[in-house]
Amino acid sequence: MTEEIKATKTLDVCGEICPYPDVKSMATLKKMEKGEVLEILLDYPLSVERLPRNAAKWGHKVLAVEQLEGPNHRIMIEAFGLK
Amino acid sequence: MTFPILTGLLVGLAFGFALQRGRFCMNSAFRDIVTMKDYTLLKTVALALLVSMLGFGIMAMTNIITPNPKPILWGGNIIGSFLFGIGMVLAGGCASGITYRVGEGMVGAMTAVLGLILAAIATAMSFLKPVRDALQAIKVPAEGSSITVASILGLDYAITAIVLAIVLGLIWWFFAQKNKGGDVFDAHKDASLTDKIFKYGWSWIPTGVVIGLVGIVAFPLSAWSGRNYPLGITSGWLKIGQMFMPSVPFENSLKWDMWLIVGIVVGAAVAALIAKEFKLRMPAGRVLVQTFIGGALMGFGAVCSTGCNIGHILSGVPQLSIGSLIAGTSIVLGAWLAAYLMFVRPMAKE
Repeated sequence: MTEEIKATKTLDVCGEICPYPDVKSMATLKKMEKGEVLEILLDYPLSVERLPRNAAKWGHKVLAVEQLEGPNHRIMIEAFGLK
Repeated sequence: MTFPILTGLLVGLAFGFALQRGRFCMNSAFRDIVTMKDYTLLKTVALALLVSMLGFGIMAMTNIITPNPKPILWGGNIIGSFLFGIGMVLAGGCASGITYRVGEGMVGAMTAVLGLILAAIATAMSFLKPVRDALQAIKVPAEGSSITVASILGLDYAITAIVLAIVLGLIWWFFAQKNKGGDVFDAHKDASLTDKIFKYGWSWIPTGVVIGLVGIVAFPLSAWSGRNYPLGITSGWLKIGQMFMPSVPFENSLKWDMWLIVGIVVGAAVAALIAKEFKLRMPAGRVLVQTFIGGALMGFGAVCSTGCNIGHILSGVPQLSIGSLIAGTSIVLGAWLAAYLMFVRPMAKE
């Protein structure tokens, strides 16, 4: 389902421990222009739930949370433009 | 080995399952407040504490348990637990967090546990023992001062715990009603009950209630085996480490708290396998060093303070132990300092 969404940038945080998937994603989103899309690849269950929740709180738009294989997920977030 | 000791395994299986499903971790709970203003896990912890407090109070009143609050050890509770708090941010998880993540296949959690075991052994019985003894030397008031919020006020523990749990719960509920909304993000609202339990992570309310109930069940069962205390993590890992030491008789390790750890790891692994969340996850080498050091700080701190975040916060605070309240506060402050230096300041600079 996320194939149609075009990512401006991809961030792979697989294997990272708590809370680096969230911290790195939020830092990247902060530097992106409004409307740009960040594709995040992650495999840490807590962050799969926490990241969309917090990204939305900062005004970013969560486009998709897709399970790939096992704990591997792809999250697509459209930046709010905090730059 | 007797059946009462093996109940540790059963409680551990339930605890590990709930920890993995609820992603229950006090490191995240305390750290997320300062790093991302996320209060979800903090609410989970608070709910688990209130449920346990109510349960302990009722069980004490009906003589099912005899409360066993930890004494005040100023040096250990303040300095040891502060270092524990710093350590858990480095390790990427609290004592129960890194334990259940071993079952999920996270290699960073395994190196953290290794650090915790080695430091706990060094502090409990080897070259760091003099440091522990020095930290625990300050005993004011004197000997075995297991004072609680209730004993200070001259009140009965059972009634105080029950009233406090209900009053705090009502205050919380009142404010939650006033500030409704904002906390309704649920990606799997329409999922079936089976999927909600086994496939997706639990939301904070069921997690808090189940963890609180596990703590309630743990207390009389552990006491039945001769260990009069509810849940605890560090002592179990210490006993697992001692299995590999020829100088310690093997039977010494086969205790309730050791079986609890085995249960947590297996229970979390089962939960992760059912949810298809099990995977060997290998972070960068420097992260493994970081989690090892973090684990070591936790092991040292927990032995000096006679408890980790589970022994002091989840089990000690509901018993209203003043020592546990001091230790819990130090853990939070240590975690905040580490979180500020590692995450808040670097992010603000960017």
